[in-house]
Amino acid sequence: MTETLEYKGYKVENVAGGKADFYVYTDLCKGCGLCIAKCPKQCLKWSKEVGLFQTPAVEPDAAACIGCGACAMTCPDSAIRIERK
Amino acid sequence: MAEVLTLPPNLPKSQNAEVGASKFCPGCGHGITLKALANAVDELDIKQKTVFGCDIGCSLLSWNYLDLDTVQTHHGRTTPVIYGVTRANPEAIGIAYMGDGGGLAIGSQHLVNAAVRSERMMIVLVNNTNYGMTGGQMSPTTMPGQKTETTPYGRDCEVTGRPAKGAEMVAAIANPEKSFVARSSVSNVRKLQSTFKKGLINVQNGGFSFIEVLSICPLNWRTNNVDTLERLKTMEEFFEVKEFLQGKSEQ
Repeated sequence: MTETLEYKGYKVENVAGGKADFYVYTDLCKGCGLCIAKCPKQCLKWSKEVGLFQTPAVEPDAAACIGCGACAMTCPDSAIRIERK
Repeated sequence: MAEVLTLPPNLPKSQNAEVGASKFCPGCGHGITLKALANAVDELDIKQKTVFGCDIGCSLLSWNYLDLDTVQTHHGRTTPVIYGVTRANPEAIGIAYMGDGGGLAIGSQHLVNAAVRSERMMIVLVNNTNYGMTGGQMSPTTMPGQKTETTPYGRDCEVTGRPAKGAEMVAAIANPEKSFVARSSVSNVRKLQSTFKKGLINVQNGGFSFIEVLSICPLNWRTNNVDTLERLKTMEEFFEVKEFLQGKSEQ
């Protein structure tokens, strides 16, 4: 537990009008798509990046995303983190 | 391109971060349920005295998911093992985690007797209306008309009987003064987490908690992301989502 774990992924900066950053961890994302179905703004789409099982991960439309966190909450594997600034 | 991120994912403290991704299938409801359970344990700060027992089936893949004292039991025997632990150690808070097969088919005898005696423990029954690990056969909770591997023309209630409703059964036989019985769904994670919290508070006050969680199984239902949540809505219409008994769940 002492050493810090490393996570691979990518981030989309300045979603929700520049109020938050959107992190996707490709080590954890299994490509189930529940976040896409749950998004209230329908602003998530499949990404060109691949997740754990070489299936597409997701990325938000930075202009449409409101940073509500519904995707992060419903993700079974905690692969999304929305960090408010 | 994917890079090493400095910010770690937002995992609950009671979740075992070292194992990386869980062993569940993509989109499995167990991940959502266990995340909510871990957050509820974190909120009450009872990580050090919680004992977690998991059953055979898909639910056994949770054996290293949580950073709690874990015991993995025989099929359907999670309930007696966990109330054995809580009887031997009155400080411990026992959580028995099982699927609908382990709770309502092979383990129903223990569920009935634990509910009648209202043992000091919390039972979490994850209901995904089929046997997931063996390939999606009909289970006691399969809905009428639902197609599974063993009911290819849909479940016929004339032949196979009506689906088992676990929460109603437990609410009818448990001691109403000290039992918290509820049914919740993975469609509302916040509500699920607060239901787990109420159940754990009831156990801290010496009561018996039973929480049935309506869950999803995209691989065996053969549904995509949108259809999975649609199926979950029909389940919520069939199985009533509410709190049947309150017990001593107020803090």
